[in-house]
Order: sequence, then structure tokens, then C-alpha cells
Amino acid sequence: MDDITGTVLENRKILTNIYTISITLQKPCGTIVPGQFVMLQIPRKEIFLRRPFSIYDYRNHVLFLMYKVVGKGTEALCTLRKGEGVKVLGPLGKGFRNNGRKNAILVAGGIGIAGIHLLAKSFNRQVPLLFGCENKKEIALLGNLAKDQNTYIATLDGTYGYTGTVVDLLKHHVISAPHKKVAVYACGPEAMYRALKEVMSPQRVSCQVLVEERMACGLGLCFGCVKKTTDEKEPYKRVCMEGPVFDLWKISL
Amino acid sequence: MENLFITLFEKAMKNPLMNASGTLGYGKEITKLWSIKTLGAYVTKGLSIRPHHGNPPPRIWEEKEGMINSIGLQNIGIERFFSEYFPFFKRNRVPIIVNFFGFTEEEYVACARKIEPHPLIIGLEMNLSCPNIQKGGISFGKEAGSVYEIIKKVKAVTTIPVIAKLTPEVKNIIEVSRAAYEAGADGLTLINTMPALAVDAKTKRVSIQGGFSGPSLKPIALKAVYSVSKEVPLPIIGVGGIMDYTDAIAFLMAGATAVQVGTATFIDPYTIPRIIQGIKGYMKACKMTSITQITGCVHE
Repeated sequence: MDDITGTVLENRKILTNIYTISITLQKPCGTIVPGQFVMLQIPRKEIFLRRPFSIYDYRNHVLFLMYKVVGKGTEALCTLRKGEGVKVLGPLGKGFRNNGRKNAILVAGGIGIAGIHLLAKSFNRQVPLLFGCENKKEIALLGNLAKDQNTYIATLDGTYGYTGTVVDLLKHHVISAPHKKVAVYACGPEAMYRALKEVMSPQRVSCQVLVEERMACGLGLCFGCVKKTTDEKEPYKRVCMEGPVFDLWKISL
Repeated sequence: MENLFITLFEKAMKNPLMNASGTLGYGKEITKLWSIKTLGAYVTKGLSIRPHHGNPPPRIWEEKEGMINSIGLQNIGIERFFSEYFPFFKRNRVPIIVNFFGFTEEEYVACARKIEPHPLIIGLEMNLSCPNIQKGGISFGKEAGSVYEIIKKVKAVTTIPVIAKLTPEVKNIIEVSRAAYEAGADGLTLINTMPALAVDAKTKRVSIQGGFSGPSLKPIALKAVYSVSKEVPLPIIGVGGIMDYTDAIAFLMAGATAVQVGTATFIDPYTIPRIIQGIKGYMKACKMTSITQITGCVHE
């Protein structure tokens, strides 16, 4: 892990408020575990702190980040143009742990695909990927994965695939009778994690989720990005250090 | 060869650079990027007699030239720090300053009593200035009288030098510093974060209340160091908004014996080693042999 200088290769709009930025790194970054993130310095005057982003993909020294414009940082980020210099600190945090279970199921909600894409790739797309979004348009977030035979899609408005949430899809179509060997890997909004917890609690299906929080350092230095867990002695764990991937059954939602 | 050595409470430090408490975790975290031996001294995260959970998130808020934090002094407690982390500093022979706090006077005293002297412990930094806890911290640091009382009590139970870390949010920082001196404090750390607030125009609610830090704090901190060093005969550790070596040198020139770097590390984790290199370059250019040559030079 290091702080690496990079150059913006492309900052491409995928949907109204969703972009993929690709950054050529001056030197290779260390081995990446899917679910890990980088702290990106955004070279704009109004941006003081770096911002954390899940690593969407990495190949041939090029880092790919997919992001949704949600605030000041991402509003500035989407103005970056080809050739601009940035600093990239990473890879950081603890990614998804492969616990040897054969029946992995990947679940992504909306922009949550940004945190799941690399994992899907590492499984050589041999495992089901369940993707939930608002409507047919948002399927664009899946890129090539959309056509994959292992990809199952749910839209809230029913314009494509299953009508409902991705957790409904998980419940009705894939693990209607979940058994102990199933392991779910998820990335999405907190409401999705709450639904996952409810659906899987009878069987307590093994499930790792990627958590998001405001960060300052990304290195475990400041204790600014904590997530409340079920550990009574030390409830607040650093998302950047002990996470961002947590056991669903050990976090408070 | 540029000599960055300083002495603080008769202990040698290889350079005047420290981290500000709570901005370098428990110390081990940064070693992914640079050696802990880089530091003149490591300042612990604020420790209390019992472990403390801290505040619920959000704990971080970005401002234009700084940030507001509301960590709330989450820590594992003095006992666990000494069993789990102190051996790491001993192995690396890195001097430490133990920052501590309490919710009552008794807890401050209990902390000081619990920390045994060790050749690597340079001092105990009493946090009398954290804006993020309801009781304790800043409530003791606001008035000269309460500062005097609490330092007197802590001094009575320890032989380790005591450093009072003070808040800038007082009527007269010289008076409060003088009270610390008269109570027997051996040094001062100036300053802690400023109490601050952010409001979200979208939600029409308070986004965060906490301590403001970052480069905007520098001139305020510098003035505190400058004024107090003229009036109070104690070594001062300067802290507040130091981003680069010129900032660090400004604090030394204003009268600080050593400096602490906090928020800058979040933006560039290599800030501390870069400042050390920067100071060396500056000394070389000025043909200086010892960093102590510039301490307080602006007063002359």
C-alpha cells in the first residue's frame, strides 16, 4: 500500500449522476482484495479531505472507480478531466473474506455494484449475481455483467426482470430454502442490509456486507469512520480498518 | 549535518516532531507507510482510566479549510494501551507522551497514578480541552482556578512531567497558562481544536458539533504560543494547523520547543516525514547547525 500519483484517463458519465473514472497509476498498487477501497485526493480548492471509494476494477496499472454524485466531493470529482493529476492511497481496509463456501451469492443494490464488481470478477462470474435498481435504465451500471447468464436483475418499477427489491429476488428465486453452505456477499444501502438480515435470520445465512461511512484518513488513525457493532466492550469499529467489509450479524443496523 | 535534536524535560528527542493526540491511532497503524522511529515522540490517543466508546457517527465534517471532528475520545483505556501497545514503542525505542483525560478530577488523578515512570515516557499530557465530551475535558480547562486545582492534584501523585493541553476558547490564555505553571505543570501544549458547528441547509439541521482543526487554526495557535511563551517560563508544544515545514518552523520561532501535526496527516499521511526533511533543507540553506537556534527567535 502506498500513496501513488495517478493521471485521469477518462471520467465517463454512465447515467445522470453516476460516473466511472479511470486513473493510470505511476506504479502498480499492491495486491487488491475485492471490497477494499482507496482514498482519492480530489484536486479542487473546495475539497479539503480525501474521499474513500471502493475499487471497482484494476488492470494494467489502471484503477477504475464507479461513483454516484451525492455531495460536495463527488460533485467536484465529476469535473475532473483527462490528464489531471490525482493522488491515490490504497488499497485500504479489509475486503471480502473467501470463507471457502461453494455456494456464494453476490447481492448488489444500485451503486453498490461498485463494491461487488471486482468480487464477481474474482469468482470468474461462476456465481450468481443479484442486482437490484430503480428501473431498466440503471441496468447500465452492470456493464458487461448485464448479459451474463449468472446475473439476475430486479427493478423496483418492474421495467426489467423481477419486480421488487433485490432482497425479494434473493428470497423468492434463489435461496427460497437457504442452507448452511450458502454465503452471501453484499453491497448496497443500509435499508438493503436490514432487509437481508430479516430475510436470512431464521437460517442465519453467512453474509458479509460492505459498509460506507464518512472518513478523514482511511488509515485507522482518526477513529472518525466508525460503525456500531454488537461487540459490547468496543461497539464502534473503524470502517477503514476493521472494515469496510463486516459480518452482517455483527453490525448494528 | 543538521542537528534536529531537542531536549524536553531533560529527555532527548531526535527531532521536535510529534503527532497531535488522536491523529495517529495507537501508533502501529502508520507503520504501513513510515517507521514510527521517524517521530521525535509519539503522543498517545487520549486515554482514560476505563475504556470509552466515544460518540456515535457521523464523527467527521469537512469545512473549506479544515474539518470538524466529534470522535468523543473513544479509547481502549490506559491498561490495555500499556499491555498491547507500549511494548511496540519499547521495541522501537520511541519516546512517548501519554495523553489522558477524565470525566472527574478523581479520574484524572487515577490516570496519573496508574502510569508508571519509564525512561521512554517523556511526559503526561493532560487533556483539559476536548470539546467533544459532556463532562470533563474542556470544562476543567476554561478557568484558571479549575486548571490550577486539577493540575495540583495530578502533580501530587506522579513524578512524570505533566503537560497541560489547553483550549484557545478562554478569556485569557496567558492567565490559564500561568495557573498551570503555578500549579506545577512542567509544560504546555497549545492549542486544542476550537469548538465548532456545521449546519446542513438541505436538512435544516445541525450536521455536527465538535472540534475544528486544520490550516485555518494556525494563526490562532501561533498567537497563543507567541503570547504565552513571552509570559510563562514553561516549554511549549505548539499545535494547530501545521501543514508543512514552514508552519512548523513558525511555531518554533514563536517560542515552541516542539510541534505536533494532526489534521495534515489525514490529507497527506507523509506530512510528518516531509516536515522533517523540509526543516533539514531549511537549516542547510541557512547554514544552521542546531534547530534550537531558532527557538523563540521572533522575540529577540
